[in-house]
This record gives sequence, C-alpha cells and structure tokens, in this order.
Amino acid sequence: MSSLTLSKKLYKAFFITLLLVFALAYLGPLYVMLTTSFKGIEEIRNGNILALPNALNGSAWVKAWSSACTGGDCYGLAPYFWNSMRIVIPALLISTAVGALNGYVLSQWRFKGSNFLFGALLFGCFIPFQVILLPMAKLLAWLGLANTVTGLVLVHVIYGIAFTTLFFRNYYVGIPNELVRAARLDGAGFFAIFRHVFLPLSTPIIVVSVIWQFTQIWNDFLFGVVYSGPGTQPITVALNNLVNTTMGGKEYNVDMAAAVIAALPTLVVYIVAGKYFVRGLTAGAVKG
Amino acid sequence: MGSIQIQQLTKSFGDTEVLKGIDLDIKDGEFLILVGPSGCGKSTLMNSIAGLEEVTSGDILIDGDNITDLSPKERDIAMVFQSYALYPTMSVSRNISFGLEMRKVPKAEIEKTVADVSQLLQIEHLLDRKPSQLSGGQRQRVAMGRALARNPRVFLFDEPLSNLDAKLRVEMRTEIKKLHKRLGTTIVYVTHDQVEAMTLADRIAVMKDGQVQQFGTPYEIYNNPASRFVADFMGSPPMNFIECVVLDDKLVIESQGEKFELQVPHGDHLKNAGVDTVILGIRPEMITEPKPHVEGALVHSIPMQIEVTEPMGPDTIAFGQWNSTEIQARLSPEAGVDAQDTGKITVQVDTSKAVLFDAFSGARLGV
Repeated sequence: MSSLTLSKKLYKAFFITLLLVFALAYLGPLYVMLTTSFKGIEEIRNGNILALPNALNGSAWVKAWSSACTGGDCYGLAPYFWNSMRIVIPALLISTAVGALNGYVLSQWRFKGSNFLFGALLFGCFIPFQVILLPMAKLLAWLGLANTVTGLVLVHVIYGIAFTTLFFRNYYVGIPNELVRAARLDGAGFFAIFRHVFLPLSTPIIVVSVIWQFTQIWNDFLFGVVYSGPGTQPITVALNNLVNTTMGGKEYNVDMAAAVIAALPTLVVYIVAGKYFVRGLTAGAVKG
Repeated sequence: MGSIQIQQLTKSFGDTEVLKGIDLDIKDGEFLILVGPSGCGKSTLMNSIAGLEEVTSGDILIDGDNITDLSPKERDIAMVFQSYALYPTMSVSRNISFGLEMRKVPKAEIEKTVADVSQLLQIEHLLDRKPSQLSGGQRQRVAMGRALARNPRVFLFDEPLSNLDAKLRVEMRTEIKKLHKRLGTTIVYVTHDQVEAMTLADRIAVMKDGQVQQFGTPYEIYNNPASRFVADFMGSPPMNFIECVVLDDKLVIESQGEKFELQVPHGDHLKNAGVDTVILGIRPEMITEPKPHVEGALVHSIPMQIEVTEPMGPDTIAFGQWNSTEIQARLSPEAGVDAQDTGKITVQVDTSKAVLFDAFSGARLGV
C-alpha cells in the first residue's frame, strides 16, 4: 500500500533483512557443501571456498556412495544407508502404530490411573539418551540382541513411543467421545472403532509422527554407535568413520558428498510431507 | 417390541450418588420423556439404559430380559446424540449403514434400508455428502436416520434438538412425534425443555437430584403436580406460588392493602391441618380478565396493580403483586391492557385447578 508510513516501511525492511540473515546462516553451509562436493580435489585446494565448481564433477558422489573407506572397509556409504533404512522403517512403523493405539486409549478409553500412565509415558520424552546407555546395553545383551538391527529397532521403538503417544493422545483428545459411544451402540468394538472412525481422521498426525520419528531415528548417532556391530552400523556412524578415515590427503569433496547423502532422506521426507507436518501440529487446536 | 423396566437403579461416581433408586415401568411403544434441571441425573439414567455407563446396583429389563450387564451392542438400542456424533470421515450413506455393516447385515439388505430410511427422512439427495457439508437440521436428520436404520427395540434421544435454532427445533419436534406415531417404537427422550416434554410425551418422568419426582402423563404432571418443584418446572410462564394465611377453610390474599378471602378445592382439609400458612399454586391462565360466563364458589374477583405487561400475541402476561409476591396473570389481548398500562384492574381468579403446598417442605397438600 502506498499509504504506508516510513517507519512502517523501515520496520518491514528490518524484519525481512533479519529473516534473510537467518536463512543465509542455514543455507550458506549447504551451498558450500554442495559446491564442494562437485569440485575436484585440486580445484578445492586452489580455489575459493565460495566459488561455483568449474564443471559438474560427480566422481566424489560416486566414491562416497560406493567406494570410500569407512574404517577398514572401503564399500562407501551404500551398505550403511541400507542398514539405516532397515532400522528406521520398522522402528518408525511400530512406534507410530503403538503411539496411535496408546493415544486412542489414553484419550477415549480412560480408566483409573490413565492420566498417571500418560504422565509417566511423557516422562520418557525428557530422559536423555546418555542416561539409559548402560542399562539398555545390559538389556539388549540379556535379550541376545546386542549388535543387531533388531536391537536398534527395539531401542528406537521404546524411545519413540513416548513422543508418538504424546502426539496421538493430544490429537485424539480433541475428538468428541460421543463418536466412540455412537460407534459402540452401532455395534463396533475397540479395534473396529479405531479402524473405521479414528484412523481415517488421523492422516495429519500420522504424518507428524512419521516425519518426527524418521528424522530422529535416521539422525541418531549415539545409539547407533553404541548398540551396533560392524555389519549393522547406521549411516551416521559410517559418515563419522568416513570423515575420520584419511588415506593420503583429506578428500573434502567426498566428505561433503557423503554428508549430503546422509542428510538427503530426511530432507526428502520433509519436502514431500512438510505441508502436512505444519498442518498436523496445529490440527488438534482447531476442530473442523 | 420394547418395554423397559427399571428397578431400584442406583449409580455413584465415587462418593457422589447420581441416581438414587430409580423405578420406571415404560410400556412398549411409549414415548417417555426424562426431564429435569441439569445435574438431575437424566443423562446418566439414559446412558445406563444404553449400556454406556455401568450401574452401581439395580436392574434394567427390556421385554423382560435382564440387560443390566450386557454391552451396548448386545442391547438392541439406538441413540441420537446431542452433538449428533456423526462419523466425520464417512459419507451420509455410510453413517447410516455403519451399524448394519458392523452387525454383518447382507449388503443388499443394507442398501434397501439406507434407501428406505433416507426416503423417510427426505435426505436422499444428501447421501454422498460428508457431515461437514450439512446444515444443523440435516445433520439432525442423518443422526436420526442412523438410529432408524438399525430398527432397534428402543430409541434413545439425548437432547437431540438443543443445538438447533428455535424455528427448526419446533419443526423437528413435530417431525419426531410423527415419526413415533408411524414407527410405534419405544422412545426414551431426555430434555431439559419442559415445552418439548409436554408436547412430545406419552408420559413424563420429572427428575431432580437423582430421583424421579413424578411419573405421569403430561396432563397429570401439569394439572396435578406431586410437589412444588414439579409444578414450578413444568409450564411457561411458570405457576404462581403465593404464601397465604389460612383462615378456617379459606386463604387470605392481600392486594393494595385490602384483604380478600379465597375459597380453594379441598379447603376442608385446611381446617384440620393445623397450619397457619400454605403455598397457593395457581397457574397464570387461571388469573384472567373477568369472564361473565364463569361462575361458582371457586371464582373470585380481586384487584391487581399492574407493574408491567408482556404482550405475547395470543395473550398478554401482566405482572402484579399479592401478598408481597410477584404474580403473573394471563390476560386476553382484548382485555384492554396494553404494553404501557400500569393501572389497577380487577382480575378473575379461578381456583378450581389451584393446588396447595406445604410452606416449608414444598410437598403437595390435600390430595
């Protein structure tokens, strides 16, 4: 509008500048990572860190994926990428399913002590990873799951349930209990009501839970480094090993490409479903 | 078939006793209204019949079968909720058919039932829509359709009209009554609206504090209330309650410094009752402009200073004071009293339907 006063214009300019600065702070490193990953090693040594690559050189990406050395082995990140997938997908599906059922019970089928139970579960959100490292290692060993993918899945499921329960419970608490009553009179049981009435309403919160769990588990390093064996390491651990393994000179282009590969899946998940993520986080607040 | 017997039903939440021994005998095909102020236990009673609430003690029988411990789905009861509780992700037609689907009714039969019910309720054109695309009145119809499709032994209605606007409420009220006439299925209907109770019911159970105060036909409840509470709750404008001094078998009314003696039915009881004062309960329509053709010992003429009037259209409510109590008279609009009038008039008081209550307990006297 032309009637904007000067001070209002300045105000607006100030905020836009501020936002741009923050965006740059995040995007700057990404820019450096991407440009570096496409440069040859000579070009990196001699050139400006901010310069665009002379030509798109994909060899660092190929090496990072299939032949870079992570410690003793030189198979690239590929095997670990699939390790991570084998950990993330089951852990994510199980923790989301259990969280949905927990939330359904804690919001719609309250019983004596259900609020206490919810509080106790919520407590799980605030327990730092480091605190449970040793007892969990004991438990996994006792279960015979030490150094296995199943063991890591179990750890991530247990840790994730606290969060997924919180998401679903707070989402379902906004759904009137009369729906459950109506469905019970219609002859539906506990699971039928969940499947036919609640699940179809849950898309936004399922997306929230999936994105959250995917990001958490994919990005996890601590559990991955502690509970995995040589053949079951997730990609975060492999990335660390790759960057720390030096044979001759430091290959910044390979390191950068590897880092981007390790970060790519969470980015893809967010870009594909991010719209629902924001919507889902606020969906509980406004009833339709 | 769907007769309901409720025997000595109690329900407590912790230390709070919500239902204190309810006994009701509802005949097959009857339209029963549970009415009372909020917190009286009427919704809890209905939920107990539905099986959504476990009872503490007592029995509920449908057609002689004890269903007290059965789950809701085994009771063959359908319910219409105050918020309608339509399944938001399902189409109207699936909302109606869901109960049949859950009961494994054959597909062809479900389709026929949905078609019949939607025709009966005139919602055929809405079948493919989602509940969010419907108006309040349409949702109400779908909620009823869902109940009707099941063809249960008993319908429960939990304040089904309270979310509709005034005009629609009256329309739907008539429609529910027509529907009941047509189907003949037993209906238990909870409301706090005494007009709904009077207009719909075959019989009314007036509840207060977890007890049934009176169980009877609308006529009985209106004309022969068991207590001051029932008399006060039913009727609009409400009954006048005037504390009167007893003089032999008559009551004394004081208006504008003058005293008048009022003869009442069962006046002879008063002489022997040994009470100084009683509460006279008289409905506004029995205090009118003088009507020359109404005569008798129970018809009196008493002056009244009008403080304010409320013209309703068919009649005008005039407010005055007798025995330092505000009273309402129901005058004909042609009685010569208009909205601005604050003059003194003489009204006719017909005590033939007047009732007397104990001044302290509110219990009915002289019956």
